[in-house]
Amino acid sequence: MTDKLADDDGPSDSSLLVIIVDTNPNQRYITEDPKVLTGCLDAVIAFANSHLMQKSRNLLAVIGCHFHKSEYLYPSPGKPLDVRQIDGQYELFTLVEKTIKMRLVNLIKSQPLEEKPGESLLAGALAMALCFIARMRREATPGLRMSSRILIVTGSTDTAAQYINYMNVFFTAQKQQVLIDVCSLDKHLSLLQQGCDITGGLYLKVPSLEGLLQYLLWVFLPEASERKELVLPGRGRVDYRAACFCHRELLTIGYVCSVCLSVFCKFSPICTTCHTVFKIGGPLPIKPKKKKMKV
Amino acid sequence: MSESSKSKLSLKLNPSPTLQCKNLHEYLKSRTPQFLETLYNYPTICLAVYRELPELARHFVIRLLFVEQPVPQAVVASWVSQTHAKEQSKACEALSELSVWQEAPIPGGLPGWMLAQSFKKNLKVALLGGGRPWSMSSSLEPDGKARDIAFLDAYALERWECVLHYMVGSAQTEGISADAVRILLHAGLMTRDAEDGSAVITKAGFQFLLLSTAKQVWLFLQHYLHTAEKRSLSAAECLAFLYQLSFSTLGKDYSTEGMSNNMLVFLQHLREFGLVYQRKRKAGRFYPTRLALNITCVSDAAGPGPLLSAGQARGHLVLETNYRVYAYTHSSLQVALLGLFTELLYRFPNLVVGVLTRESVRQALRGGITADQIIHYLEQHSHPQMLKSESGGIRATSVLPPTVVDQIRLWEAERNRFTYTEGVVYNQFLSQADFTALRDYARAAGVLTWQSERTRTALVTRAGHDDVKRFWKRYNKT
Amino acid sequence: MVNVMKGVLVECDPAMKQFLLHLDETLALGRKFILQDLDETHLFISSDIVETLQARVDDLMDQLSIPVHDKGL
Repeated sequence: MTDKLADDDGPSDSSLLVIIVDTNPNQRYITEDPKVLTGCLDAVIAFANSHLMQKSRNLLAVIGCHFHKSEYLYPSPGKPLDVRQIDGQYELFTLVEKTIKMRLVNLIKSQPLEEKPGESLLAGALAMALCFIARMRREATPGLRMSSRILIVTGSTDTAAQYINYMNVFFTAQKQQVLIDVCSLDKHLSLLQQGCDITGGLYLKVPSLEGLLQYLLWVFLPEASERKELVLPGRGRVDYRAACFCHRELLTIGYVCSVCLSVFCKFSPICTTCHTVFKIGGPLPIKPKKKKMKV
Repeated sequence: MSESSKSKLSLKLNPSPTLQCKNLHEYLKSRTPQFLETLYNYPTICLAVYRELPELARHFVIRLLFVEQPVPQAVVASWVSQTHAKEQSKACEALSELSVWQEAPIPGGLPGWMLAQSFKKNLKVALLGGGRPWSMSSSLEPDGKARDIAFLDAYALERWECVLHYMVGSAQTEGISADAVRILLHAGLMTRDAEDGSAVITKAGFQFLLLSTAKQVWLFLQHYLHTAEKRSLSAAECLAFLYQLSFSTLGKDYSTEGMSNNMLVFLQHLREFGLVYQRKRKAGRFYPTRLALNITCVSDAAGPGPLLSAGQARGHLVLETNYRVYAYTHSSLQVALLGLFTELLYRFPNLVVGVLTRESVRQALRGGITADQIIHYLEQHSHPQMLKSESGGIRATSVLPPTVVDQIRLWEAERNRFTYTEGVVYNQFLSQADFTALRDYARAAGVLTWQSERTRTALVTRAGHDDVKRFWKRYNKT
Repeated sequence: MVNVMKGVLVECDPAMKQFLLHLDETLALGRKFILQDLDETHLFISSDIVETLQARVDDLMDQLSIPVHDKGL
């Protein structure tokens, strides 16, 4: 597999972009004015098409991420829609736009009505994106240099509930040389920012939703090899706090199991992850191991 | 002043001009700004031009796309990190060359850049929608005899090989029209035989055969467009239609409704070369084939991996470090091509074995084929097995054995141990001052090729000779 | 008086230059063709000889080359 991965230096023949759009209805900007979602979606679609416009061999996937499931919005499984041109737009772009909108409606309609909207399943969507990338790499013609990246567009708030899933996905992405970019529409997201930092992607919290398309085009359109040439927002400080495995809270100082490295906010004699029993020798409280996490 | 004009020669010192294959960028660069202006009225062309731009230039365009007033040049420069100033100036140059942007002053008096109006408008149309639909997209009844992709691939290959076969003079000479022959002659790929007037292949023609299919098609069409103007076809219209085709979907049918007569003629030509498939001349619908879709890919054809993926035109060559070439093919065309630069040893029903020898390669070099073309051909047509075998984490620049590649280049280099420059020697100057004056004049004019102060000898190019001679006469009078 | 001569400047490595001088001295091409010996790597020769010369050099290279592969069975 290694030979198919794009090397970091040279420009690639083809670039694969997977966009994860958070469509959860409980994002603050949607609850305030549901119409904004349409605007944001249009921006994302225009951005997706700009990506396809860069090179004829560029590839695109869009995943919609809801609170009950994540689904591919583009490409649609099965036979593609039969689209005829209605105006001067490039046929492929029309297809992208139509498919995304149609499938998004289906996704929203499928949401269970009785349930209260919970957290967006971003980690799951990321895993789907990685699977898609892996598949495209496998199917690519031998010798084709393909670079891949994932862009998350979300207005959800940061919670540590999916911490472990996030970390698994981030490190897998790092190993697969997949960049993760995050575009936050609302709050600062420290966990996802860690993901960007681990994989070498960019993190941007947009100051206003008005110019979303411009922010996307300026910051996230260049692919990895082109980013070195352009002046783009820097990394900034990354908050590397970990979440404890017991209450999913972000910690500065905590307890770490010496066997499986699980993090806990309170001392417990048996590790809940690997069931190691810690002998409590000597006067209490002696902590089994204390590790200061980097702030 | 004594002039010993030894011989009036018009000798061509580099007798093997290599075949020029311009990409879209170079093609457009050679056109007039007015022609470009007309072209930018077609969204398809804007899209194609956009993809041809250097990477940085593409980002400049997309950043300026939604800006209505001119942007200071200094601001554009500040988008690129200091270490990549060279790439930046190259990008700016490309944009200016193609008149994608123009200089425009900003109220403060600073120089600014502004995208050409029509380019901006039509790129937006292509990206976001609006405007009129492209000419071939009228709705159609579903085709009762719809053709699948495999059929189209086979059709395109057969048609195109027909042209190539004609060129090498292989058996089938029918099935090619007078128009196609005219283009081949016009392109200098073939020439009329002095004796019987039949068309025979030229040196350039052999080089043409070694190009990748996409490049062949593009080169061929370029010459088609040249001749098109003579047949009262508008080159801009044809080019726009070609790009329209290249942005269509494979395996889908398109309507001929609303197309002008000229375009219908053009369509029939494209049909002949296998760029589109039509069941009947008056079918009212056509299917673009992979040949048409690949026009846009010419520029990035440098990389390995055949463009015509999915079963068609898969590579068939295996090259080993012992200089042997195994070609899994039964096409006599492919064998003939291989025979241009290898010595064929064995022939089996589906396999030909040859060996690259110094003699065979030199034979090709003498025929005007360059080492790069041979290497490129071998690379282009590498068997998938060759592409796979270079794993192990190391990405070599080429899938071919480096020893063989180097040797081919060395064989070429040994023919070029001399560089010849036609020129005129000036010597036996009476004083150092005279010599210096003449030398400095020639150097300033950029025609000095060699000089020695000790022997008071200067050599100027042939083109510069007249000028220097005049200078010398003037100098002597004063 | 300044002397002016038309011809062809040849640039090559010193070894090849010696070979050319040798060809010139032994009249191997039927006559003398070097108009002026410029320096280590440059010669000025008459232009009508270029093609014959090129063929002659090809012959030399042929004699020098050793087959790098065997044609095998």
